[in-house]
Amino acid sequence: MAALGIRIRLAVCATLLFVSVATLPPASAQQPSSVNPTADAVKEQQLLQQLNRIQGLGSIPDVKSYVIEQPQGREWRQFHEVWLHWIGAVAVLGMLAVLLIFYLTRGMLRIESGRSGINIVRFNAFERFVHWMTATCFIILALSGLNITFGKEILLPLIGPSAFSSWSLAAKYAHNFVSFPFTLGVILIFVMWIAGNIPNKVDVEWLKQGGGIVGNKHPAAYRFNAGQKMIYWIVVIGGAAVAITGYLLMFPFYGTTIAGMQLAQVVHGVVAVLFVAAMLAHIYIGTIGMEGAFEAMGAGTVDLNWAKEHHRLWLEEQNLGTGPSELQRRPSATPAE
Amino acid sequence: MRAFLLACLAIVVVGTAGYFFLNSMQKPTGVAYATDGARISPKWSWRSVFYRPKAAPTTKTAMNIPLPAGETAEECDVRTAWQWIFVDFGNPDGEAEVCSISQ
Repeated sequence: MAALGIRIRLAVCATLLFVSVATLPPASAQQPSSVNPTADAVKEQQLLQQLNRIQGLGSIPDVKSYVIEQPQGREWRQFHEVWLHWIGAVAVLGMLAVLLIFYLTRGMLRIESGRSGINIVRFNAFERFVHWMTATCFIILALSGLNITFGKEILLPLIGPSAFSSWSLAAKYAHNFVSFPFTLGVILIFVMWIAGNIPNKVDVEWLKQGGGIVGNKHPAAYRFNAGQKMIYWIVVIGGAAVAITGYLLMFPFYGTTIAGMQLAQVVHGVVAVLFVAAMLAHIYIGTIGMEGAFEAMGAGTVDLNWAKEHHRLWLEEQNLGTGPSELQRRPSATPAE
Repeated sequence: MRAFLLACLAIVVVGTAGYFFLNSMQKPTGVAYATDGARISPKWSWRSVFYRPKAAPTTKTAMNIPLPAGETAEECDVRTAWQWIFVDFGNPDGEAEVCSISQ
């Protein structure tokens, strides 16, 4: 009987012990809310949630490498993997769509009074040389730069990993090396055309009249109208921004921290895609958008009637300053009326 | 057209100059980010105790061409595993560059 009592007591104790263990709160709930990063069993995810970064100690001189993950890094990753794609797509495709709609509705802007057959020098050889140097560099930089942002999604599935790898390597090298003549071109453009690109009252009137693009008026303008001045300042300011940030990226951590490098990449990426969009408009109006415009940078001369319609004040200056020596008659496909 | 061709020529010239400039300023990633971390300093006293210059190789192979008379080979000594304990992260001055890069 006594043995039975002992057994019952043992059974009751065992049951109580089991119940008490089973109903204990989980061990994790007993941990303090703050995490000791030096604890052996600390998990990365826990560190990230509590401290907002994963950082340790290192034995090499590069202390930057001690930080494995940080909030700015995640924001930057979100930027260059998601936001930049959207900004770039909206800017570039949006501009292409606007230009296409404009071309379909308005077509090429013709010289209203027809060609006179008399040409006037608009840009000298050096100006054209600088323009084409900068423009050619820009196209190379734009294509190789867009490849960095969009190549993986667009080009890689089309041409395969091997060809994409070779192309991307060559494009990245070209991007680096061509940046130097591009920067030189931007500096020369700034110095060469600054005098004609200071905004003035004429520009306000030009803008009020829609630059002649909206409606059929031909607002007066000096050598550069307000639209061209906008392009000029986009090239100078945008070019300087992409050049400076590009060189910061080309020479990592020379005067920049991790956050500085990330900021440089953000500015470089955003300004570059907006720059591409603006240049698409510039290319459009300089080629198929306006009759006689390409000749200014192609041959360096424009038709007298084109100058009268689009840059009347500049033409008056030219006639006063240099006289007819700048004018040259040439056989024209469209005879003057 | 002539202005455009000259512009292309200028791009090639300035771009090539940029290529040489970058080559002189920059190092490959593997070198730039890997060698600063772990160097063996010959000034480190404990290590110098165990430093024994290797004799010049005597066998002639494709990778082991004898040097002209008067020139000495730039060599690194082979470290045993336990010698790696005495790694110094200091300045590599005094050690042949090839040793710093390879280790």
